[in-house]
Amino acid sequence: MNERLQTHLTPEEVELWATGLLSAARTFHLTECAECLAVAERERKLLVELAQLQRFAPSADFAEKVLAQVRIQTPSGSHHG
Amino acid sequence: MRWARDGHEPAFRELVHRYERPVFSLIYRMVRDRALAEDLAQETFIKVLNALKSYKPEYKFSSWIFKIANNAAIDHLRRRQLDTLSLDGSPTARSPEEMHASAPQLGDVSESPLDEVESRELGGAIERAIGRLRPEYRSCILLRHVEGHSYEEIAQMLDLPLGTVKTYIHRARNELRVYLEDARE
Repeated sequence: MNERLQTHLTPEEVELWATGLLSAARTFHLTECAECLAVAERERKLLVELAQLQRFAPSADFAEKVLAQVRIQTPSGSHHG
Repeated sequence: MRWARDGHEPAFRELVHRYERPVFSLIYRMVRDRALAEDLAQETFIKVLNALKSYKPEYKFSSWIFKIANNAAIDHLRRRQLDTLSLDGSPTARSPEEMHASAPQLGDVSESPLDEVESRELGGAIERAIGRLRPEYRSCILLRHVEGHSYEEIAQMLDLPLGTVKTYIHRARNELRVYLEDARE
């Protein structure tokens, strides 16, 4: 196995690259290795899709329903809820 | 946090408001059923708020609440798996006819308004691909790439070795790419 193949980016390095955190020295590998670049581009596309997933909201009275079932001990020591 | 531990109701309310969306979203994507996700999210908050006195501040609060939320979802999925009737029919059937007769009939069930909301919310290609992952991969990928937790935090939350978490996330991403490519073809 030649030296260039041995320095293929690991999955963790690909993730670092996709989030802009990979060192310049390792990023340079992508200019030389079309295989890693293709993998990295696919990975970046996926990570962008995941990062853009929306957060869903529960029903509007969710907090009220929760608080109605919680034993809230007041600073004076009594319970309510 | 300290105010909530001391029993100040507004602080409880603030904690719920701060975490209701991320906790609900994680559970909803795990169980893929809005009403059930809401019940499990409620259980999570009730458990957390009732146990606030025992919360250890050296543990990140978000890690603690996500650990409880994920456990609630995984426990439910395990129970559901045990309860699922085989679509092939009764395991005690002695002939193909008996198998067929005992198999659940899938009639044309009409879609409720809640079903419509769910199919709108979870119907996109990426959501469907996430839904196809096995639950432990799904937890890891959501905690890492949607909630932004570190690998170390996820390992702590899920009680898994760090290497296992890295492997799960790597495999999950590979599977997601394959599912998305399938969906585009």
